[in-house]
Amino acid sequence: MQTKIKTILAIFTLFIAATSCDDYLDLRPQDGIIREEFWKTKEDIQAAVIGMYSSLLNSPPGVSDFPMSQYLFMHGELRGDMIAPGLNATEDQRDIMNSNIMASNDLTNWAIFYRTINYCNTIIDLAPAVREKDPTLTQVQLNHFLSEALAIRAYLYFTLARTFKDVPLKLTATLTDEDNFQLPVSPQKDVFAQVIKDLKLAEGYAVQDYGNNDSNKGRITVYAINAMLTDVYLWNDNFQEAFDAADKVIKSGKFDLIKVSNNTWFNTVYAKGNSIESIFEFQYSKTNLGPFYNIFFQRHQFLASATVLEDVFGVDFTNPANKDIRGDRTSLVAGTNEIYKFTGENNDTRKELQGADTHWFVYRYADVLLMQAEALAELNRGSEALTIIEEVRLKREAIDMTAETIATDNKKEVIDYILAERSRELAFEGKRWFDMLRNARRNNYARLDILIDGAILSAPADQQQSIIAKLKDSNSHYLPINTYELYTNKALVQNPFYK
Amino acid sequence: MKRLLRLPSLLRFTLVFLIALVFQNCTEQKIKESTDETLNITDYLRDTEEYSMFSELLEITNYAPFMNTYGTYTLFLPTNDAMKEYLKDVGAASLKDVPVADLQNIVKLHILNQKINTTAFTDGKIATPSLYGQFLVTGATNKNGESSTTVNKTASILKSNVEVGNGVIHVIDKVLRVADKTLAQTIEQDTSLSLFTEALKITGWYDVLNKPIDYTTNDIESYLTVLAQNNDAFKAAGINNIEELKAKYSHLHEPLNPKDSLNLFVSYRILPKLQYLADIAISPALVTKAPLEVISAKLDKDVILLNEEVFNGVLEKGVAIVREKSDLTASNGVLHFAEANFAIKKRLPAPVYFDFCDQNEFRQLTSVFRIPGAAPKTSLAKSLFKDVTWDGNDPITYFKDAARGGTVGFGWHGDCLELLQFRDGRVQNIAFKTPVIIKGKYKVWISYRAQTTKVGLVKVFFDGVELPRQINFLEFVNTSSIPERVLESQGYKRHVQPTSSKMNCRLVGTIDVTVTGRHTLTLQSQSAFTGQTWLDVAEFRPVDMDQLYPKFDSGGDGFAPLP
Repeated sequence: MQTKIKTILAIFTLFIAATSCDDYLDLRPQDGIIREEFWKTKEDIQAAVIGMYSSLLNSPPGVSDFPMSQYLFMHGELRGDMIAPGLNATEDQRDIMNSNIMASNDLTNWAIFYRTINYCNTIIDLAPAVREKDPTLTQVQLNHFLSEALAIRAYLYFTLARTFKDVPLKLTATLTDEDNFQLPVSPQKDVFAQVIKDLKLAEGYAVQDYGNNDSNKGRITVYAINAMLTDVYLWNDNFQEAFDAADKVIKSGKFDLIKVSNNTWFNTVYAKGNSIESIFEFQYSKTNLGPFYNIFFQRHQFLASATVLEDVFGVDFTNPANKDIRGDRTSLVAGTNEIYKFTGENNDTRKELQGADTHWFVYRYADVLLMQAEALAELNRGSEALTIIEEVRLKREAIDMTAETIATDNKKEVIDYILAERSRELAFEGKRWFDMLRNARRNNYARLDILIDGAILSAPADQQQSIIAKLKDSNSHYLPINTYELYTNKALVQNPFYK
Repeated sequence: MKRLLRLPSLLRFTLVFLIALVFQNCTEQKIKESTDETLNITDYLRDTEEYSMFSELLEITNYAPFMNTYGTYTLFLPTNDAMKEYLKDVGAASLKDVPVADLQNIVKLHILNQKINTTAFTDGKIATPSLYGQFLVTGATNKNGESSTTVNKTASILKSNVEVGNGVIHVIDKVLRVADKTLAQTIEQDTSLSLFTEALKITGWYDVLNKPIDYTTNDIESYLTVLAQNNDAFKAAGINNIEELKAKYSHLHEPLNPKDSLNLFVSYRILPKLQYLADIAISPALVTKAPLEVISAKLDKDVILLNEEVFNGVLEKGVAIVREKSDLTASNGVLHFAEANFAIKKRLPAPVYFDFCDQNEFRQLTSVFRIPGAAPKTSLAKSLFKDVTWDGNDPITYFKDAARGGTVGFGWHGDCLELLQFRDGRVQNIAFKTPVIIKGKYKVWISYRAQTTKVGLVKVFFDGVELPRQINFLEFVNTSSIPERVLESQGYKRHVQPTSSKMNCRLVGTIDVTVTGRHTLTLQSQSAFTGQTWLDVAEFRPVDMDQLYPKFDSGGDGFAPLP
């Protein structure tokens, strides 16, 4: 009897021991795929790349920060001189507009940038191994995917370095909790150098043509990379390189400025997007809408500042027909100062809420043209720079009121003219503050007056003097590291201006 | 083992229980009872070595317990280095050598009774006074490329917005000093203001400016602001000494008389209340101690200009304030420096024709504003207007018709301001900021496009005072052969030429404008209008002027030729 019980017990124990390691005790997420099962075919890489792009459109479910395009808008415009707070502007947004910035300001949260950077890093780290598993994946295809991830990562680091100055450089994927998250910041110039390195690498891998227009404008092409390179080179004062990179875009013959005409031009370039003028856009669609209808129209957080219409685009009080088409009812609505570029269907009618799918324009052809003009001006080729400005103005039928006659050898005036033309052409496209800062900081802040004049124009009267004094400190031109980041990452050092 | 198993079950159970107890540790479970461990100000200071001297100061003055109570305070906290510098300044070896009363004042000056973060700082005073009673001034400076926020111009903030349990701390690098000189003493001390000082003395204003403020009553009203000008500014105006100043301004030869022009010259520079440059920059008109005289102020880029005005289409250049020297705090007020000599302008009443549509917000609509044949009506929301306010949330509408045609084309400029439903809850108590009206007596005429039904009576208020006559928007112009002078005596006129039967004009009353400047004209509907109200022009004609002519050109921009 005893032996029998013992035997049964032994068999039972053996049974449990032998079977206990089976799958049903293994915990795997029920709503996703784990890494070991992904990264097996080229379709997996494709899915990851598209996922990276869609993280630029809207944040994943359960994450409550703003969409990337709204951050790009806010970082590029709020501190410039063309924006005023709307009725629904938050306290944090107003504080940034008034240069009243503290590290606790929520808009200094950079989580969204690093989230997408991690998506890029994951592709860069894990995609090459797929080639061993999937024989149908060619090296060329793999390189194409890598160029997309490298370029997006470079653009995000570029934006971070323009916004925060020194930021942590994380170039490997975060795959486990054991990763080191205590990263110190890298100096801005190192970040720029990394960005250039990545973009150069990506350029070698990049696609020229995906075979359909939407992909050509919505995914990274060799032209988007060169547009980015032009921009970074200008920030780095490498003017010849900037000129060359821009030239690659211009000489490609794939882009052009569309002749302006009432309604069609606006509809083609902005409302529909992916036009011949466009180089890289965030592809919002009717099923994945952008934030613009809400923040510019329905519960408007941002307005054009009161001086934009008159000072930027010029108003002919005697002849209303004589107007810059890029002003009233393109960039903004006269009278209400509503920002119209991202909500209009054409110059007369606005889109419906459900159909407000206007893209976010990262680079357009006119942007590259004017960046090349800036490089030319800095290379003391002022007359060629002016030719480019004139070309843009001619195509846009700019009014005489905003035309300037200047000496081609007067670099300061040429740059000012380029800046003014950029503010007309690229109004509210997240460029203004970066344009001002890039030109102001050149030659050891020789043109600090650009920022100060902007502040005089837009600062509240009772804080103007403080704001000017603050702007004289170059560290104040960059946002602080958010308090939360400092708390979780002890290796970070706060920008000294925000002690 | 066997013996153990043979024990009665109860005992076995107890044994297991006891063994379990032995393994279970007997230490007391620690439950955290506090929800917040942030220190209060005093404890925070005791904890931090760099601030030991201020902590000692709190102990000596007996403020330490007070700063440890719950509340919302702002503390400007000088570092030890700053405290040492202060001791050196007052020539004391340690804090104990300084009179306790002085130390108490110092402490009180560093504490505000409200929590104020640096984001609330402006170029001027902090809205809450210090416990001492004096206001602190904030700003920002740049030294060697590094900018920092400053307090009272001298102290820079080293570390800002340190949250503690009972408020917020800003660490500063200098001890703030109580301003102990009155305005009069401050002015007298500055040798470049010698002529201004003499002027103050002979007009008797010196004593007024020398009167200390009673901080215990915390009376902001009794503070004064002085716009001084130095000897160079006088010299530039051709005045080299006090005799020449008297000769130029003192028309009664008794400067002590408040009616004497020299006395007015001085009192025009003294403003009631504590007004730092940041306050001046945002107030369009500054009341002065000269009876019923105001100084207009305007911010042109970053320069504050006094008395820069456009009168009758002519720009009168203003006088700038010298920023660097101004904002000088005295115990009873603040001192600013004007760049050049300025004086009260004598102006005669002039007519003001105020087109209700002539608002900047409408003017920006260049494709619509005063363009015949463009979109006839354009509505703008309440939040957009700077100079028009009303109750209710309906928009107001710019309405333009072809000249001398359509509905409102017969009015001046052929346009009217339309209120779709002038009534409670829609648009009510609509208030317009008028252009500058020079002080004097005026008759107020309001013209409108009449309606046959669905509108009614409207009351008119000037600066909140009701005018005697109401306007009846149902009333059309009298086109009979009654001479116009007779009509005028009844309070009606035909304000456009050629006369239109659709427009009418009503005299609502005579006003006495006591202060030159912009005023408020308010219209109040007396019933629930369901039809549109169309407003054309408000005329302010000086009482001694012809009230009929010149007439407006119907549908045009200018005046009709005189008959």
